[in-house]
Amino acid sequence: MSLPHALVKKLLPIPVFSGLTTGEAAEFFEVALEQEVKKGTVLFHEGDDGEALLVVLEGEIQVTKKGVELARLGPQSVLGEMSLVGADDRRSATATALTDLRLLAVPSKRVRKLLKTDNLAALKVLANIAGVLGKRLSLINDKLVASTGAPKKKEELANFGKILTDWTF
Amino acid sequence: MTSAEVANHYFRKAARIMDVGERIETLLATPVREVKVQVSIELDNGEIRTFQGFRVQHDNSRGPMKGGLRFHPQVDQAEVLGLASLMTWKTAVTNLPYGGAKGGVQVDPTQLSLKELERLTRKYVDQVHDLIGPTQDILGPDMNTNPQVMAWVMDQYSKYHGHSPAVVTGKPLELYGSKGREAATARGLQFIAREISRDVGLALAGLRFAIHGFGNVGSHAARLFHEDGGLIVAVSDVHGGVQNPRGLDVPALFEHVRKTGSVRGFGGGAACSSEEVLAADCDVLVPAALGGVVDARAAQAVRAKIVLEGANAPCTPEADEVFEKRGVLVVPDILANAGGVTVSYFEWVQNLQHLTWDEERVNTELHRVMREAYEKVAQISRSRKLPLRTSAYVLAIGRVGKATVLRGI
Repeated sequence: MSLPHALVKKLLPIPVFSGLTTGEAAEFFEVALEQEVKKGTVLFHEGDDGEALLVVLEGEIQVTKKGVELARLGPQSVLGEMSLVGADDRRSATATALTDLRLLAVPSKRVRKLLKTDNLAALKVLANIAGVLGKRLSLINDKLVASTGAPKKKEELANFGKILTDWTF
Repeated sequence: MTSAEVANHYFRKAARIMDVGERIETLLATPVREVKVQVSIELDNGEIRTFQGFRVQHDNSRGPMKGGLRFHPQVDQAEVLGLASLMTWKTAVTNLPYGGAKGGVQVDPTQLSLKELERLTRKYVDQVHDLIGPTQDILGPDMNTNPQVMAWVMDQYSKYHGHSPAVVTGKPLELYGSKGREAATARGLQFIAREISRDVGLALAGLRFAIHGFGNVGSHAARLFHEDGGLIVAVSDVHGGVQNPRGLDVPALFEHVRKTGSVRGFGGGAACSSEEVLAADCDVLVPAALGGVVDARAAQAVRAKIVLEGANAPCTPEADEVFEKRGVLVVPDILANAGGVTVSYFEWVQNLQHLTWDEERVNTELHRVMREAYEKVAQISRSRKLPLRTSAYVLAIGRVGKATVLRGI
C-alpha cells in the first residue's frame, strides 16, 4: 500500500523527514498504516515494546512519564523516534489520545530492515532523528543547570549595606 | 506580650520600615549563643536545691556582649533572649562598643539566706565562666542583683582566669566600681529631659514631672529634676502615691522615705493611687517602675506631653500607638534609660585601664553620650517622620547592621 501523493507531500516539512525526496518518502512510507484512534485510548505505555514510529495527522496526544506530563503533541508531530535508535527499543514514556486521532504508523521492523540495506531514505530519517534528539538533549542540559546548578548570586549582605547607606545615620 | 515579645515587636517594626528583608531580619534577631545551666547549691539546712540558670548572648558585631544578671522566680530562656536583644539595641543607640547579652537564674532570692545567695552566684559563675569575660561577655546588676552579687561574680571569675574586675560592672565602689554608677540611669533621664524640653520649647525651670516608681531610678530622677528647677507634682511606689500640683518638697520627701521606706503618707501633698500618678496633670511622665504598667487605657488618661521611659518597656505596644495618635512624645527605654549601661561601660573602661575617674568626668562623658544618642534619634525622627522609638530602633539596626556587613558573615 502506498500513501497518496498529497499526504506524502504534507509529511516532508516535518523535521524528521526533511531532506527526503518525494521518491524516497514514498519508499519510506510504503508500508505505513493510517490508523484512527478514539479519544482516551492509551497508544502505548512506558516500557512497552516500541513497535512503530508514529506521525500525528490529526488530533492531540499527551506524553507522560511516571504521571508527569512531558509534552502535548499535535498534527505533524512524531512519536516513538527514540525506539528506532535506542539500544533498548522499549517506549520511554506513555502516550494517550487527548482527542480522536488520525495517525500514521511506520513499523519499526520496516525501518530496521531498510537500514540493514543502507537504504538512503532510512539513513536520512535516522540522521534527522539524531539531530532532533541532540537538540532535545541540549534543552534538557540547560534545564538541569537551571534547576541544580549555581543560581544567580543574590548579594543579600551587600544589598543590606546599600539600604543602610540610604538611611544615612 | 512578654518583654521579650515587646522588644521583638519594635525591632521587626523598624526592620520592616527599613525594608531589610526577611533573611537579614532573621540574622539580626537570632542570638549568637544561648546556654541553660544547672545551678545546684546546698542550702544552710543541708538540703540540695537545683535551679535553672540562663545566659543568652545576642549579638557581638559591635564588641563584647554586655548585659545584666537577674534572679527571679519567673525568669526563663525566652525572657532572657528578649532582654539580651534589647541590650544589643540599647548599646547600639548609645554607640557603646558593645553587643547585647542577658542572664538569669530562676530563683526567688527572698527565700535564700545571704550565704545561700553567695553560693548560688558563685555556682552560676562556675557554669558560665568559660563563656563570659572582659572581652567576651560582661555581666552587670539587674533585677534582685546588687553590687555585692557583682563582687562575688568578679571574685569567682577571677579564681579561674586571674584578677579580672572588668568581667562585671556595677561593682561596689571599694572594689573597682565607678563613681556615678548608682544615679547613672536617672542622670541619663535628666540629660534627655534637658534635650527634649529644649527641642519642644518648654523651659526646664518649672517643668512639671510625675514619677511612677520611686526605686533607684525614680528617686534619683526626682532629685535631679528638682535640681534642674523642675517641679515634682506626683510620685508613687508599690505602697501608694502622693501628689501636689504646686510641686512636692523633694528634700522633705526624701527624709520621709528614709524614715518610713515609702512615699506613702508624706504630708507635703495629697495621697493618691499609682494610677493617678500616671494620669497626673504634668508635662513629663516618667514610668520608672515595672514593665507593662502603661497599657492602652492608661495611655488615654495620660496628660503629659512627654513620656520618658525610665523602666524597661513600661508602655505596651498598644499604649505606644495611643501616644502616637495623640501626639504624646515617647522617649523609648533603649534611649531614655541607657545611662545605666553607659556608666557600666565607663566602669569597664576604668577597669581595663587600671584607673579611676572622678564623678565629674563620669557625668561629663555620660552627658556627651546621651546628647549624641538623642540628637541622632531625633534627627532620624525628623527626617523620616517616625516616632522616637522607631527611630531609635532604626539607628540601632543601622549600627549593628553596618558592623555586621563590614565584618562579613
